[in-house]
Amino acid sequence: MHINAIKINSIDNVGIAIETLHKGDSASFKDGKTIQNITIHDDIPFGFKFSLENIAKGESIIKYGLQIGIASQNISLGSQMHVHNCEGARGRGDLGGKSK
Amino acid sequence: MKTFLGYPRSNGTFGTRNWVIVIPAQREVSMLACKIHEMVNGTQFLMIPGYWGRSKEDRKVIARTMIGVGLNPNTAGVLIVSAKKHFGYPEINNDLLMENIQTSGTPVREVILEDVGGFYNALGEGVRLARELVLEASRVHRTSCSIQHLNLSVKCGVSDATSGVAGNPVIGMVFDKLIDAGGTAFFSETTELIGGEQMIADRAVNQQVRQDILNAVHNIEEKVKSIGEDIRSINPVPSNIAAGITTLEEKSIGAIAKSGSQPIQGVLNYGECPTKAGLYFVDAWMSAVSLPLTYAAAGSQLFIFQMGGGDLPEKYPAMPAVSSPVVSPVMYVTGNKETYAKADDSMDFNSSSVMDGTLSIEETADNMLECIIDIASGTWTKSESWNYRDQLEYYLTEPCF
Repeated sequence: MHINAIKINSIDNVGIAIETLHKGDSASFKDGKTIQNITIHDDIPFGFKFSLENIAKGESIIKYGLQIGIASQNISLGSQMHVHNCEGARGRGDLGGKSK
Repeated sequence: MKTFLGYPRSNGTFGTRNWVIVIPAQREVSMLACKIHEMVNGTQFLMIPGYWGRSKEDRKVIARTMIGVGLNPNTAGVLIVSAKKHFGYPEINNDLLMENIQTSGTPVREVILEDVGGFYNALGEGVRLARELVLEASRVHRTSCSIQHLNLSVKCGVSDATSGVAGNPVIGMVFDKLIDAGGTAFFSETTELIGGEQMIADRAVNQQVRQDILNAVHNIEEKVKSIGEDIRSINPVPSNIAAGITTLEEKSIGAIAKSGSQPIQGVLNYGECPTKAGLYFVDAWMSAVSLPLTYAAAGSQLFIFQMGGGDLPEKYPAMPAVSSPVVSPVMYVTGNKETYAKADDSMDFNSSSVMDGTLSIEETADNMLECIIDIASGTWTKSESWNYRDQLEYYLTEPCF
């Protein structure tokens, strides 16, 4: 199986394309000792992220085993995950000092 | 024991380069100092920022940074250029520079414009003294020494997905190996601890250092809140977002990987130098025109710029970016095979084999350490072949008046 994506930590809910993936492609990545395959629903350029599960609005986005942001809308399995559907939770001066 | 060929200094340190620096003690003699430097091979010029109207604290930062660069093991001699004795604020003056830099045993000379009869005479006298210093420096020859005398510093830039997965982890592993050998290493970029600060704080050697790390992050996050902006409109920078980095937290966790896994001995402020070996965090602005200067002041003899490069022009080589740390070379490395292919005339090392699993992080780190030892021993970095010195900005945080 040709590996074209990576999942960094076992609890991550996003993967990273290590080559450009197109809508309908199968993303193949190592997950521990096994190889996982999921169908991609968007074009994902090299280095961009896609969701490894259905993520509901308000849930944590996990990469490197840590929270990197919050889903700003529902994200379905295999969709691209970037600024259009994920927000940072830190350094949010725009929220008037309230942490999100 | 791994070794490199370094220039031995009288205080027991070893340089990777052998520069004489010309330092103006006041803004008013910046041009004079720069012209002396332009006339004498083997010299570098240390610019002095505008300090009139700056607070005492900022003036102290400027002075300790200048002194630190004078004390760097790569500095073989210093020429201080001054308008007159005791001119200006007490925190920045020729005597202070002279006394502090001389403590290392580095040869220091001084030319005072008023004492030698004005600009033209000072230019001639300065050139004469600078020539004496470079000839003296040239008599120092490289000798084999342990890499425990190596002091590395790092910044990551134009970050993309390869930075957190390949580029930065390889540097982290190099740092781990250097610290194991008794060496010293620095990382910084306080804003880019936000989201991953607990991992860093957990590696502090004691409670005080732990608190210093958390305070540094808290203070910078409060600052962005005070200006009412979403940090994402500032950092990640547009190039990061264009290359797939979504949030600051994501960038931070990837960036932190370059610090490796060793205990953190302390938090340094801008321009400060540690008193013992080990890994340190420098609380500073992430800019490539600012960090190299504080690293040089902290004694770093080699500065590593880890580039992602995903947002660089697609079909043309990367513009040669040259950030001058005054006396210490800058080494460019990347974990992105496209960046390396586009810019192999700017890049000194390619760690992209980690991305596709061809080589492990550890194998790549071993190769990078050999490359570092080679550069430390005298091989030029690609950027050293350019006759260009980038601007430098001291990180001054207080208001101006």
